[in-house]
Amino acid sequence: MACVVVGTDEFLPLARAQSAARGLPELSVITVPHPIGGIAPGAAAAKAEPVATSVLRALTSAPSAVSAAGAATSGMRGAPSDLDEFQGWLIEQGWGDGLPAIPPTAERVKRMLAGTRREPEEIVAVLVPRLGRATIEAVAANAVMAGALPEHMPVILAAVEALADPSFNLQAVQTTTHPCSPLLIVNGPIARRLGINAAGNALGQGARANAVIGRAVRLTLQNVGGARPGKEDRATHGHPGKYSYCLAENEAASPWEPLSVERGFSPADSTVTVCGSEAPHNINDHGTATPEGLVATVVGTAATTGSNNIYLGGEPLIALGPEHAATVASTGWKKDDFRGAVWDAAGVPRDRFTSENLARFEAIYPEGFQDRSSAAVLRIARDWRDIMVIVTGGAGKHSAFIPTFGATRSVTRKIIE
Amino acid sequence: MDIVDPVGSSAAPSRSLASRPASLEGVTIALLDNSKPNAKEVLERLGALLAARAGARAVRVWSKPGSSVAATAAVLEEIARSARVALTASAD
Repeated sequence: MACVVVGTDEFLPLARAQSAARGLPELSVITVPHPIGGIAPGAAAAKAEPVATSVLRALTSAPSAVSAAGAATSGMRGAPSDLDEFQGWLIEQGWGDGLPAIPPTAERVKRMLAGTRREPEEIVAVLVPRLGRATIEAVAANAVMAGALPEHMPVILAAVEALADPSFNLQAVQTTTHPCSPLLIVNGPIARRLGINAAGNALGQGARANAVIGRAVRLTLQNVGGARPGKEDRATHGHPGKYSYCLAENEAASPWEPLSVERGFSPADSTVTVCGSEAPHNINDHGTATPEGLVATVVGTAATTGSNNIYLGGEPLIALGPEHAATVASTGWKKDDFRGAVWDAAGVPRDRFTSENLARFEAIYPEGFQDRSSAAVLRIARDWRDIMVIVTGGAGKHSAFIPTFGATRSVTRKIIE
Repeated sequence: MDIVDPVGSSAAPSRSLASRPASLEGVTIALLDNSKPNAKEVLERLGALLAARAGARAVRVWSKPGSSVAATAAVLEEIARSARVALTASAD
């Protein structure tokens, strides 16, 4: 069957990358001026007329050949020896994130490879949209660039594997306009051994392990996965976690079992959990001393109309500060009591949504939006068990609400050393 | 200085495009709506224009289950069985 792709001009790089990754670089892509969403349906349809002749021609004539050069590269590359010059060169190649990077020379990559028992040519995962082969060596090259140390490799490799799990929906997370990026939550003894910060400023600057592990995964996704900002990565704004987004759970300060144990791992296991996450939204509550009161404050931050989770589902995360966690546990509440109470209360009244959004959301999630009564509310997750809870951070009366892309599930992998 | 390529090789398969019909006279056109707002409106207008100008027999519409997930294999097979040419919407 002859096929032609129709999209808007803004998204042409993504459509081209997608057709190349599927082995069809010469597939015709016809564009209309962006946008077609958020305008009157008639105005969108009118954009079809000027391109109808091009579409007809593309459907009935042989496409011109396109060189697939650059689709498959591997091995060594020549690069400027001067470190300052190297920085600009790296950005020109589309391989940098804007921060200075360490050149992944053969010698440095070899040292990085000492951090794993796995063979350099072993394929950890195939990363979309490019269908890039994340070999141990390719991941190690990105880890060097990020400033990681060999002992960080097992965490980085487990995270890359987790991201390629089909339930994570990496294709969408890598290419969406939504501001999401993999959040890495590390549990178990390795977090303490590597000094992955789980205490004060856990999501901020200052801890080397958090910074370089998260950055190594990001660079791997951008380079091996082929999601270059402004090209295949279509984020409208992105968020600061797209440089690095990694923390550990503060297991010592948690009144409950850690996320890894909740998911069936032993407390002696080390794991990494990846979530397709937005930036943290703060929950400030310096006054409340009861779990019920804290739930009310959490819900005020979490239940909003402009949320992906509300119509796409997924697993929004509540990262409780240890002091808030202690308040929740003070009357004997377990983690499930808390997530159940949040879910019950975190409803957005149906009449807060615009009519256009209601029409759209009803088509996507009919079960959720079928109740049209004035009392109808939409919840921040499809099931109370989908609300993730961890304890992290240091002293202070703050927690974080971290929504997700929605059409993505978190994935936990054991870290093998 | 030589560096290890941080991009690596691609597992992209090599495929060839299907042959194109010489004209749309009498053929069925499939439209695959990617479920983004107004994508269907653009595709349907294109389908109508092609049918009017090129004498296509019919235009039929299929949809992805949501914009952030792929079309199902069943839908793709049905399109392949039912139509000679297809227009698909990509991204926003």
